[in-house]
Amino acid sequence: MSETRFSATEKDLLQELMNIGFGQAAADLAQVIGLSIKLSIPDIQLFKTCELSRHMTEEMDGEQEFSLIEQYFLGKFQGIALLALPARSGKKLVTLFGLQDQCNWSSENLAMLEKEAMIEVGNILIGACVGKITELLNDVVLYSPPRMRIQDVRDSNLPNNLFAPGSLAISLKTVFHFERKKITGQLFLIANQDSIAWLKTALNAFMEQYE
Amino acid sequence: MTTLLIVDDSPIARQILRKCLPKDADFTVLEACDGRDAIEKFQLFRPAITFMDMTMPVMDGFEAIAEIRRIDPKAVIIAATANIQPKARKRIADLGALMLLPKPVNPGAVRDALSRARIATRDDTQG
Amino acid sequence: MIFKQIADMISMGLLVLDEDLNVHFWNRWMALHSNITADEIVGKPLFDFFPDLNEPNFLRNCRSVFTFGNFAFFSQKLHRYLFPFRPAYSDRTPFDFMQQSCTMGPIRSSDNRVQYLFLSVSDVTEVANYEEQLVEMNRKDALTGIYNRRFFETSLQQEFKRSLRHGRALSLIMIDLDYFKRVNDLHGHQVGDDALRAFAAAVHSRLRESDLLARYGGEEFACLLPETNGPAARTLAEELRRMTEETRWVCREVELRLTISVGVAESRPEMGGFEILLKKADDALYAAKAGRNRVICYN
Repeated sequence: MSETRFSATEKDLLQELMNIGFGQAAADLAQVIGLSIKLSIPDIQLFKTCELSRHMTEEMDGEQEFSLIEQYFLGKFQGIALLALPARSGKKLVTLFGLQDQCNWSSENLAMLEKEAMIEVGNILIGACVGKITELLNDVVLYSPPRMRIQDVRDSNLPNNLFAPGSLAISLKTVFHFERKKITGQLFLIANQDSIAWLKTALNAFMEQYE
Repeated sequence: MTTLLIVDDSPIARQILRKCLPKDADFTVLEACDGRDAIEKFQLFRPAITFMDMTMPVMDGFEAIAEIRRIDPKAVIIAATANIQPKARKRIADLGALMLLPKPVNPGAVRDALSRARIATRDDTQG
Repeated sequence: MIFKQIADMISMGLLVLDEDLNVHFWNRWMALHSNITADEIVGKPLFDFFPDLNEPNFLRNCRSVFTFGNFAFFSQKLHRYLFPFRPAYSDRTPFDFMQQSCTMGPIRSSDNRVQYLFLSVSDVTEVANYEEQLVEMNRKDALTGIYNRRFFETSLQQEFKRSLRHGRALSLIMIDLDYFKRVNDLHGHQVGDDALRAFAAAVHSRLRESDLLARYGGEEFACLLPETNGPAARTLAEELRRMTEETRWVCREVELRLTISVGVAESRPEMGGFEILLKKADDALYAAKAGRNRVICYN
């Protein structure tokens, strides 16, 4: 498993590129959704696939109720993106995205609309962050349709098809904040062990352009 | 010979910027790893041009630019950042930085930035 | 050559837009369902032909795909459709327009820049149709065709909240057919079932569009009456009681005489929840059953 460990230089470069990627993502997001957004400096962590639930429990505030959006991204960089939004932020997001004008919504459909608004925010935020990182490192990924996760991530496992049991995973976490709407949430990009190996190669390739 | 100060908390980011400097020019390059370190080095060596990262621990780029411009109102500072949102852009301009250099940097953009900085320093010495 | 043919042969819509949202490619499926040929639309702004798409959500997703190279998904559940086409292959569909599930994604130039976006359009009318039927089936009582108890309770809960929020009246009528076990015992279950169906239809025909009638139990029915106060509900209940008593019910050539006991309750702000309203109507029904063929109002 030694080849999946990062050297100090690789770690530093990875952190720097993630800062750049998330910085660009924030700037472009402001353009795309017409609303300023803050993304914190990403926190990078390696952990064992089977420790996802422990990892998430440590990272998330146990007191707060979350809605979780999940979306898979597939490329050389591949894994699952998890977006945690405060459970009751759907209403604010509906107006933010102007979805209330879509149709005449009865109250029973309002819950669905709020859910769709959260999924929509998830799709764009995840697309922005994954897109910028992979663009910097010269990869192009495909996305599954985002969906609301029903299982509590704090007591479930990563999907076996992407994350072999016993393998390593890498988590990139950022805290995002829509200033005008006062909505704060967390975004986790969790990539599998193959992605870690690819990241090492891509980081070296990135440095080579400066030689 | 021109003295440059490169401020960034990431050693690799400083290294990348160094590698983007034109090979044919003669520079003395100093490095600082946060805003406070930058202010100390600036006072000691009075570099002609300062490249400033914005997000750093201890003291960030915004504070450091303000402080350096207080020490020397003519200091030429290039803000290197990936955050190019209008709000950040305006704040950097208001603090008196010469320009914004988007990250990741590349040799062409660094060369352009340096020539703009040289014109700025020349204008200052003449004016 | 092969790819051009595939694009024209597959059974889904495929179009490509440039950065100014002009149509760059329009496959045969799109042409057939829109009655707009590729010659007519290629090179022209999409919005000239489909002005309804020129709205913030669609535009935001286009910008997102061009900026991030991600995908955008337009689900049938939320959007119903992007392109207003007639349903093509479904007869007796309840939908005026073809239900669509659409996906948008990037097409890149050789230097990896997003140059175009594609939009794929799937006809999901049949699936949506089927889903709608399932949902409807889940709400209805199989025997009588009126709503079932589960849907009634969900609706009661919603209407109760709504009446509190808007300060509007809401009443509830609970009905029990008197001595109905005898009908089954004397004439058999088929006659009994027919009687339940006939009774449900007769009550239903006397209600307004906004009222909700459900089969609550074996021979027990519930009417939810939005914007109806206690006295008005009582009048309706009395009318239903008289109608039931005076009707000659003929089921499978058996003539039946039926009566009902009715409990009525009006929602009050001080009731903590919909359960209280239900309890009050049920208590009134219980009191009415002591004498049969009676209406009792809770007050």
